[in-house]
Amino acid sequence: MKKRWPITILYRAFSSSTTSTTASFPLKHVKKSNFDSALSSLRHHVQAADFVAIDLEMTGITSAPWRDSFEFDRFDVRYLKVKDSAEKFAVIQFGVSPFRWDPLKQSFITHPHNFFIFQRQELPLDGAAYEFLCQTTSMDFLAKYQFDFNACIHEGVSYLSREQEDKALKHVNSTYEDESLDSWHSLKEIRDTHLFNIPDILFAERMKDRLSEWLGGLLRNRDGGSEVQPSFNDSKQQFETIFFKMRPAISLNGFTSHQLLLIQLVVRKHFKDLAYLRVSGENSCSQNVIVYIESESDKKMLMKEVKDEQKIDAEMSIKASIGFRHVIDLLSSEKKLIVGHNCFLDIAHIYSKFFGPLPLTAEEFISSVNKYFPHIIDTKILLNSNSILQQRMKKSSTSLSKAFSVLCPQIALGSKSTHLALQPSVKVEVEVDDIRSSNWNSGVKHEAGYDAFMTGCVFAQACSHLGIDFKQQSSSENLAHNEKLREHVNLLYLSWTNGEIINLSTGNRTSESLASNKRKNHYPKILFECIVIVWGFPSHLKAWDIRECISKVYGPTSVISVYHVDETAVFVQFSRAEMVSKFLDLKGSLDRNNDPISVLHPLAKLLEGGNTCAASYETYKEICSSTVSKVLFADQAKAVGIKWKTKLVESSDKTKEHESLRKVKAVNSDPSCGERTKNKNFDDVSNDSSYSQLSSDEIIDSFYTREAKQI
Amino acid sequence: MVPKFKPSPLRIRSFCTKTVQQNPHHWPIKQITKTNFNESLSEIKNHISSSDFIAVSLQNTGSFSSPWHRVSTFDTPETAYLKAKFAAERFQILQFAICPFKLQASKVIAYPYNFHLFPRDELKMGMPSYSFTCQTSYLTAMAKEGFDFNTCIYDGISYLSEAQESTVKVRMGNPMAVDHATKSSSSPALSVADTVFIERVRSRVKHWKNACTDSDIKTEAALVTSLRKIVLGGEQFGSRPSMTIDVCSERQVQLVLKMLEDFSDVLVPLIIPAKGGGTQAVRAVLTSSDEDKHLLKRELQTFEFEQNKRVRGFREVIDLISASQKPIVAHNSLNDFTFIHSKFLAPLPPNMNEFICSLRLAFPQVIDVNYLLKDIGPVKKMTNISATIAYLKNRFFAPIEMEIPNQANENEGKIHGHNVVKICQLFGKLCSILKITPDAIESSDDFLASAINRYANIFYSLPGSSQEPTNEEIRGWTNDKRKVSCEDVVFLWGFRERISAGILKNMLQGSHEVFAEAFNVRMVDRSCAIVVFGKPGLSNTFKNVMNSKEVSGPLREMVSDGLKAAGYETYQRVCSSGLWESALADALDKALASHNCLSEAAYETKQSEIYLSNELINLAEL
Repeated sequence: MKKRWPITILYRAFSSSTTSTTASFPLKHVKKSNFDSALSSLRHHVQAADFVAIDLEMTGITSAPWRDSFEFDRFDVRYLKVKDSAEKFAVIQFGVSPFRWDPLKQSFITHPHNFFIFQRQELPLDGAAYEFLCQTTSMDFLAKYQFDFNACIHEGVSYLSREQEDKALKHVNSTYEDESLDSWHSLKEIRDTHLFNIPDILFAERMKDRLSEWLGGLLRNRDGGSEVQPSFNDSKQQFETIFFKMRPAISLNGFTSHQLLLIQLVVRKHFKDLAYLRVSGENSCSQNVIVYIESESDKKMLMKEVKDEQKIDAEMSIKASIGFRHVIDLLSSEKKLIVGHNCFLDIAHIYSKFFGPLPLTAEEFISSVNKYFPHIIDTKILLNSNSILQQRMKKSSTSLSKAFSVLCPQIALGSKSTHLALQPSVKVEVEVDDIRSSNWNSGVKHEAGYDAFMTGCVFAQACSHLGIDFKQQSSSENLAHNEKLREHVNLLYLSWTNGEIINLSTGNRTSESLASNKRKNHYPKILFECIVIVWGFPSHLKAWDIRECISKVYGPTSVISVYHVDETAVFVQFSRAEMVSKFLDLKGSLDRNNDPISVLHPLAKLLEGGNTCAASYETYKEICSSTVSKVLFADQAKAVGIKWKTKLVESSDKTKEHESLRKVKAVNSDPSCGERTKNKNFDDVSNDSSYSQLSSDEIIDSFYTREAKQI
Repeated sequence: MVPKFKPSPLRIRSFCTKTVQQNPHHWPIKQITKTNFNESLSEIKNHISSSDFIAVSLQNTGSFSSPWHRVSTFDTPETAYLKAKFAAERFQILQFAICPFKLQASKVIAYPYNFHLFPRDELKMGMPSYSFTCQTSYLTAMAKEGFDFNTCIYDGISYLSEAQESTVKVRMGNPMAVDHATKSSSSPALSVADTVFIERVRSRVKHWKNACTDSDIKTEAALVTSLRKIVLGGEQFGSRPSMTIDVCSERQVQLVLKMLEDFSDVLVPLIIPAKGGGTQAVRAVLTSSDEDKHLLKRELQTFEFEQNKRVRGFREVIDLISASQKPIVAHNSLNDFTFIHSKFLAPLPPNMNEFICSLRLAFPQVIDVNYLLKDIGPVKKMTNISATIAYLKNRFFAPIEMEIPNQANENEGKIHGHNVVKICQLFGKLCSILKITPDAIESSDDFLASAINRYANIFYSLPGSSQEPTNEEIRGWTNDKRKVSCEDVVFLWGFRERISAGILKNMLQGSHEVFAEAFNVRMVDRSCAIVVFGKPGLSNTFKNVMNSKEVSGPLREMVSDGLKAAGYETYQRVCSSGLWESALADALDKALASHNCLSEAAYETKQSEIYLSNELINLAEL
């Protein structure tokens, strides 16, 4: 692949348009200019497709190093991390590649589309400005693959999520309901004061004369002759007689906004049968007109007419800015099988960008995703969970490009290369703009359109290895219901790092079973109730030092592992859950007593500097759920508003008290008053209140005796 | 754009030595990216040292996310700084234009450069910034000006701040030559353990040195050489043999260094820093002669120099400006210098005073053209430089000739960074109007300095006409300026959304007797308004009423509907504790909630009240 590099670079550099030469991979690039036509053709392709492969390119993955995916992520924490990523980063490229089996050619036909997308603020929505985060390394990575940022920002297709659309429509509705008479009122009270200075009064008088002249002429004309008032039209083109909604009207041109206000005042004060209107003209600039009305009811009718028109215009512009979401709506409404590669994050992005804000919990998220996309297949899971495919993959890595080159060598190398007829291979042809080709050079990796194409090819080939015969597959049958695929549908990696899989249709979580031979569990089973997170310790302490430090207190077998979250924080996994509260109690008491004895305590090394904080795994989750992202975990904890140094935990078996305690804690987020009340609450709530205090005291005692013996 | 038959302005420029350019679009501004950065440095350095002033102008990826995040007239310098700090920490500088210039009577001689920056993680250490925020409207606006994002991201110059550079030095673990500061002269009493340690190391070093200098080695077989290397712990440092001595403490470092002095004729000690700070090991490098020893030292110096240059990137330019100590001219100095401080010096300090002190160390004189403008008279709503120049042109006769001496610009693409030249032009005009330009060039710099001094280092001034938002929301406020004490300001929220200030005022007017006196209402964003009381003390009465059970009548009705009120100190707390919610109402609610459970609440309010009573903000008339 690397050797092909120069060609692809050249291709990218010189052809920004959609033209496809034989030398390059045929890919339909879609931007603002050709979006509408591309959408209508894509609609047909998707409707006819057996499955649709997708891929996304984002501006980043993790908003802070500690938000990276760890083995120590419980599923809810993992979801929070994915949620954070999907909310903060932007999608800048979206690859859609519908695959259709062509029984005549005995091959798949695919139409790879590469959409450049960039959300612009096209509607005058109030509130926060649209913004997104860029991870520097991701941008650099994209640059390495010659990503065209100009195409994205200059010409990317914009979009509105369903939620944004609803909000905008609601906004329009309320605007045109409220404004009925309000605007007149508010205008009056502010503007009446302006008529105090002489120039204004003179100008208003002049306008009054001119308007009554025009009105007089108009009425005369209606009664008698049909000639237009020449004297009036001459006056500098400022007053132009037009017809507005079948009524005679004056269009006002070339006045300052202050003058327009004065005219508006004059009209309202002196002319019962004239109405002042401000309407948006054809070329979106607003136009000020004075319309002749016959009666009060006629005025109402006119106002309603104008308002309805404006409302329709506003709604039209909202519809027009839906943009790329039409593609997502299409995929959702067609209920086709969606194929992605390690696509949990992709799905989260699709949800947050095109549907609405991500739900707070993974369960809610999964159930609503299943509503929008009933059938999703992840090729990475497919390759890892099936033994036949694993064999095919020869235990190589399941990264997309690797899987593609192993499973589809004939496609990866271009069909012109000698046929490696060692394995039955599914043929794939590419069609772009009605030009079919089965002959191409490889595309550029990490271009969404090409990645989607690769994903689809890998999937097609995997299906064939699983024994699905496309020749016998009737076109009406949904591939997702095929019994050989059924067990793989709607499974996604919640986290690739620890092999946790979630079933979108049931919400069940399972750990990867089959592939465990490839992924030896380095860590013993992680019990989250045994975990303490410690941060803010002296920077020179390493995992080993911390382990040693704690082992000195609780014995060499007490700590199972110490894992660096980042340079400022570690997870300490104890061998038993009750050690968590023991440790936190002990630390809490050491924080409070700053006497020489506690300085000699083995934990003192860890607490040095006075900034060391510790809490249970739940606090870690809380910190992960914050929208803030500081680079260092210790700073993050501070930014989240954690001011205490130690958060004690209740004994884990008392579930009932759990809730009440939690509430107390939520209120006491402040250290100084919190610590005290918390301890008091401990006494109130737990029966063996002395337990925690006692145990830590015991430890201290035993330590002192040991210390004494040594001396 | 230029027809083929017409000689392009660039071509003409390359033939004359000097050009006077009046059309901003033809200003030859040298565009600098990674590719031509190093070769331009010396030229820039010369221009900086020969200039009177240096104008700067930044193009960032965003400024404020929500309407209320914008610095506004109701901000004190402190809250204004906190807002600017929040923006500077999140957004990124994509273009940094600098323009060293000279003022000669009515002529400005300018040397503009526009640097394209991108915070590339060259060292794979998450620096200079792990991530940054972009506002789509900013990017779209840049796209409209024809900005090339590919050039910026592929070819932008990276940088590290001073603070980052020092952490990087430690983390890279490059050997450092021992300077005399690290050698402690005092030799503490040696314990037995120390003596044992020293003797052991000494014998190892001696052994190794003898083995290396032993000429027989050269004849040995390769296998033997490598075996010997393993046994003796010797390694190569460049072309010279070296040996690493592991140490466990800083004391051992001192001991080893002291011991190595005995071999100072041929051995050069280097310190290998540990990743987390401190020292990991001491490395002794064997040199063949005194001459070789000097050579090694020089090599180390150039290596460090080159490395630093690579690491600093664009900051080299900032360092040049800082070293020149020239006055710096900016248009929106608070915004620009919070960015400069956070990207190129160090993380921003928590308050304005510390910021000013820290900044002054690097840039002693910063002049904001907006501040100069204030001396001219009431220039309203001048956030735009071009509009300001046009305004001055209409009102004053102060022709300024822009001379931009030839800088062959190989880059025939779009020229960006016009603003910096406009700032020079505006500054020139202002100086001539305010008569602070020396009439002749010969007149000493001192005169200029003293005249300029009056205007320097004012980042946020109270009669802040320049900071005044141009949004429509403040229409209806007349232009008389009046200072309002923060004490008389109350924040109100919890009313129906999209209410207008006028309606809200009407609603309040009849609701309680405090509103019988003159007061004014202004919307901060859609969720929150500020009420300014004309008569001192009424704000407190109002706040007390809001919090008491006696609240009655229409006001009670409004409170039942969710109306809430808080004083200015709550707003300050919102800013200082970083509650940058998108709606100010949410932020104020959060601040109140977190405040209620603080035990030292009473103490804190008292403090801020004292602070507040001296604090004046500028608000339009009531």
